[in-house]
Order: sequence, then structure tokens, then C-alpha cells
Amino acid sequence: MSSREIILARVRAKLGRSDAAGRRTRAEAALAAPLRGPQPVVGDDPAGRFCAKASALASTVERVPAAADVPAAVTRYLDAAGLGRCAVGAADLATFDWAAAGLAVAWRGAVDADTVGLTGSFCAIAETGTLVLLSGPRTPASLSLLPETHVAVVFADRIVATLEDAFALLRREEGEIPRSLNLISGPSRTGDIEQTIVLGAHGPRRVHLVVVG
Amino acid sequence: MHSQAMFFRARADERVDNPVLQRALAKAKPLFVGKRAKGIEGLADDGMEFEALRQAAAAIRNRVVDDLDVWLEIFEERARATGAEVLWARDGKEICQLVIDVARRHGVTKAVKSKSMLSEEASLNEALAGAGIRPVETDLGEYIVQLAGEAPSHIIAPAVHKTLAEVEALFACHHGRSPLPRTAADIPALAGEARQVLRQHFLSAEMGISGANFLIAETGSAALVTNEGNGRMVTSLPKVHVVITGIEKIVPTLEDFATLMRLLPRSATGQTISNYVSLLTGTRRPGEAEGAEKTVYILVDNGRAGLLGSPWQDMLRCIRCGACMNHCPVYFSVGGHAYGWVYPGPMGSVLTPLYTGLENALDLPHASTGCNQCGAVCPVGIPLSRLLHDLREAQVARGLRPRRERLGMWAWGRLARWPGLYRWCARRAARYLAWLGGAEGRIRVFGLAPGWTAGRDLPAPSGRTFHELHSSRQTKIG
Repeated sequence: MSSREIILARVRAKLGRSDAAGRRTRAEAALAAPLRGPQPVVGDDPAGRFCAKASALASTVERVPAAADVPAAVTRYLDAAGLGRCAVGAADLATFDWAAAGLAVAWRGAVDADTVGLTGSFCAIAETGTLVLLSGPRTPASLSLLPETHVAVVFADRIVATLEDAFALLRREEGEIPRSLNLISGPSRTGDIEQTIVLGAHGPRRVHLVVVG
Repeated sequence: MHSQAMFFRARADERVDNPVLQRALAKAKPLFVGKRAKGIEGLADDGMEFEALRQAAAAIRNRVVDDLDVWLEIFEERARATGAEVLWARDGKEICQLVIDVARRHGVTKAVKSKSMLSEEASLNEALAGAGIRPVETDLGEYIVQLAGEAPSHIIAPAVHKTLAEVEALFACHHGRSPLPRTAADIPALAGEARQVLRQHFLSAEMGISGANFLIAETGSAALVTNEGNGRMVTSLPKVHVVITGIEKIVPTLEDFATLMRLLPRSATGQTISNYVSLLTGTRRPGEAEGAEKTVYILVDNGRAGLLGSPWQDMLRCIRCGACMNHCPVYFSVGGHAYGWVYPGPMGSVLTPLYTGLENALDLPHASTGCNQCGAVCPVGIPLSRLLHDLREAQVARGLRPRRERLGMWAWGRLARWPGLYRWCARRAARYLAWLGGAEGRIRVFGLAPGWTAGRDLPAPSGRTFHELHSSRQTKIG
């Protein structure tokens, strides 16, 4: 017998439950109609809440009125922080006029030497101030991981209330889950030396969010 | 890991007298307790209640455990459908064998690891090194204890027992530089140093090994919760990713996962959410230039199935948040290493005897004051003090208690069958202890149990037994 069969046989024997087929049907039914647990009250200004929560988690946030304002806002941020004007970015942002704002962006995944990663977001979550990023050919996950600075563009009308709402949007729009779905809430951090919080453990030290609308 | 749990008393004694460890623990405890309290209080701001969430979370975990065979099969099918390979391991030895086989098939010489307590159960690092594969721990705390040649002393803060000076000494030695005088202001520099060293390992390792906080049956995914970002590196940069998890880690749906995520970070560190929550599903997709090309799940029993249908089945709900040890007076007196195996604190005192044998961890079920702070804070409502109590009963039932204790209990049992004699003896004992306590009413050295009075005085009884006081009161009322 394989280890798989031995373990499953042991589980069945210890559980002592019969009607495997019926239990399987009920489990499949539960998967087909997922139920939500206790839900938070998020309020009627998800964008405002998202910005406040993200700031509390040590991200910096700027709100701009329109998509056309994004490239200039990103350049302003990079200039103010002295981070240069080179970035690597996710191809879904290539339609913005970055050249006009004086920013050179390479549309590819990040490597170790890259200093600024530029991404959009699938959606964002007001409950916790969290970005939802999906990996894909045009949206490599390395952009939000390897560079010391991660700049993300968030559209206010894509800010949902809760994590469950983000999953519902994923099912509706994508149908399937990507290789990696990352919920990002601020710069990477560690507290492993004497419980002192340090930003920039292995991932980005800075997360800057440009919220449109 | 080879268990040293049978030496708990000696190991605890050493650590109670270790001033460096005591300083590290004294610093950590109020932070752990305070952060969790704030995190849980914050639920009310969003109109949520801890108790309601805890019941929902416990119900989700119970649903999985009650039909574990079914959920394992569903997870396996769906994970395979995404391109992942699913393997099964009965014990630690088989985990090591499977990981080494995968490593050999893919020409792996170095493996970066994200924190996995199950790999500690299996002593995987030793096995990998023995097979010529270099394991590199990448969680900062795990990296520190790996450099020190130690095991983690806490399931979410592995290096909680290390002081800044000790970390500096380790880094100087292993990073090939001279030691520097350091203050708390230098902690970011030390974290930066580790970042640089480990970044090179992330980029050059051919294999990433991680645990999973949860397996999601609906999507066949592994969920990984980290703050440092090392979990993301380990699971996406190397070409091979191996996920090692216990068979009990499944949750049915993404919605169930969301409910548990409202409790896990809050209970562990007081955070509303951890910095990175990653759902990893299958392998690199067509058109993608990055991501693991090979994903292997190893579903591990190693004693877990044995808890099903037993008085300890509740323990399988555990989501490894560490809240029980963060609130345990015993843990903060002796530190995690005293427990002698992988899991410390109350959850460890339950799991170690169950996974390594009751007879190999006799003291652990007694390493509890019975205060039930652990049960009160547990986010999935595990009745930890009841489980510890049941383990004590199991020791008695199996005749595992020391001869003197068994003899004492037998004698006491016999005596209790003769109420007259019992009362006479109780009266003599109470008078004797009152006399021993003298005017102060305290016994400084008690001959029958000298160990008990080594660290504190024994308050002496008043000289009258409960029976005497009770009957005198009855007479007065009458």
C-alpha cells in the first residue's frame, strides 16, 4: 500500500464515519455555494478607508483626480524621495504617458538590480488597506517584491469593502485563480530582533500608492 | 527533531537561572500580550466580536476535521488539476526522503526555506545537509537560530530568546566581519545585513521549501502568511517549490480562509493583516517568465490521524498562531527550548506527548498552572487546559506516573475510605503544620517536599481542618 492509501485508511478508521459518497456530495455542495462568516462594517467611503488603513500600515498615499495625472504624481514622489527616474513596470500600465512625465519604464519582471517596481492592482480592500495583485504574463509578481520601492496604482472604483468581496470579484472577472495571488499591506517588515519593527526585511522598504478618483 | 521532552525539569531549571534568557523573555511578554489585546479590541471598531468570529473559525476547522478524508481527496484532485504534484508522507523520515528525491531529480544544490515547523518535526535540515543539499533558513528569526545551531524557541518568533548582543556576535562570526558595539538603534542595520546575505541565496537557490498556513480545497492552493516577504521569494524565485503541510491544514473555501485571516494575524502579532498573504496555485502559467516550474505538495500525517476520534481531536483545529504560548506563565518562565521538541507552550505540551509518545514527555502535561489563559485567547476555541488534564489522566490510566506518586495516591485512596481515621489524620497534620508555621504562619523549609519551599514559603494552615470549621459553623447557625 502506498503512503497515500495508508494515511487515508488511517483517517477513515479513526473517524469511523460511513457514507463517504454522501459526505463527498455535501462537501462539493459547500464548495459550490460558499458562505461568508461574520462580516466587518466598512462604512460608505471605501476609498477613504483604504487610504487611511494603508497609511497606518506605513504605506504612503496620494490621491489624484484622473488617470492622466498618474505619471506626474509618480515622478513627483520619486523625485521627492530621491529615487531616480528609472523603473520597471507591469505592462498593463504601458498605456499611460510615462515619457511625458520624464520617467523611463522598462516593461518586464524585476531583477535584483532594479530599484523601483511599478504595478497596477487587480483591486484593493478597504477593510485592511490591502492591495490585491494577480500574477500573469503582463503582471509579474517580482515587481512588487524585489525592488526596494514599490509604487502601485489603485483605481478608487476598484476598491472593495472586504476580502470576500475581492474573492467574489476574482471569480466573476477571472474565473480562475492565478499562479500567485498576493495581498500586500505595506512595506515588508520584521520584528525578529528583540521585537523591534524594522521596515524592509526582504521585500520593498517603501510602498507608495497613487489612488485615482 | 529528536525529542528531549523527558528532560523538561532539568532543562527548565537551567533556563530559570539563565539571566540572558530571562531578560529576553521579560522584554517580549508584555509586547506579545499588549499587541494581541489591541488587535482583538480593534474588531469592535468594525462591528465584529471576537467570540462570534472564534465560533465561526472553530466551526470551519471542525467541518474539515470531521470529514478529513473527503477534504484531502478534494484538495488533492484540485491541486493536481492546477499542475502541482501531490505526495504523502507518514512520518518525518518519509518527508526527508521525498524532499531529497525531488531535489535530486532537479539537480538542486541549495534550498531556501520559509519557516516550516513540520520541517523541524522531520529534522529536514540535517537530512538535506547529509544529502549534500544546503538548506538556508530565510525568515530572519529562523536564520538567526540556524546560525546559532539551535532550534526555534517559539513558533512565530523563533529567535525570541536571543538578545541583540547575541545576534551581533552571530552575524559578525558568520558574515566574516569584526564585532561592533551595538544598541537598539542598530537593529535596522542588522536586518539590512541579513537582507543582503539572504537576497543572494534567494537568487541562486534551485529549490524553495515552505510550509503553508492553510490549504484551500476550493482552488487547490497553498496560503502563506508572512511579514518579511521571504515566503514570497521562496515560493516564486527558485524553479522548484515544495510545500510541506500537515493533513489537517485544509480549509474548504476562500470565504472560510477570509474568516480565519481575521483571527490569525490578530492573535499572533496583533496585526489586522500580515504584510503578505499569498495564495499559490499550481505552476508557472503559459506566457509567464517567472514562478516555480515544478510545485510539489507533501501532505504529512506524522501522528495527526491518531488524534481523530480521540479526546484530543480538538487540537487538530490549531492554526499555529502562538497566542497560547504568548499568554502562558510557564512559557515565559522557562522559554521555548525547555519543552524539548518542536512545539513549545500549551499547544506544545499537548502535541509533544501525542506525537512522540505519552511516556516520552511525562512532565509536559503538568507544565501548566491550570490558569487557562491559553484557552481564553485561542482563536479556534481549543480547550487547552482540558486537553492537558486529559493527558494527565491518560498517564495515570497507563500507569506512567512515578512509583512514589502512585503509592501516595493509593494510600490516600485507602485512607479516604475510613472517614473517622481520615479526619483524625487530617487533624494531626493540620495541627503539625500550624505548629511548624509558628507565629508568622509560614513554613520556610518543608521537610516532606523541600523542593516546593526552595523558591517560596508554604503558607501554614490555621490548625483546624475544614471539617472542624464546617461543623462549628453548622452548630452556630443551628
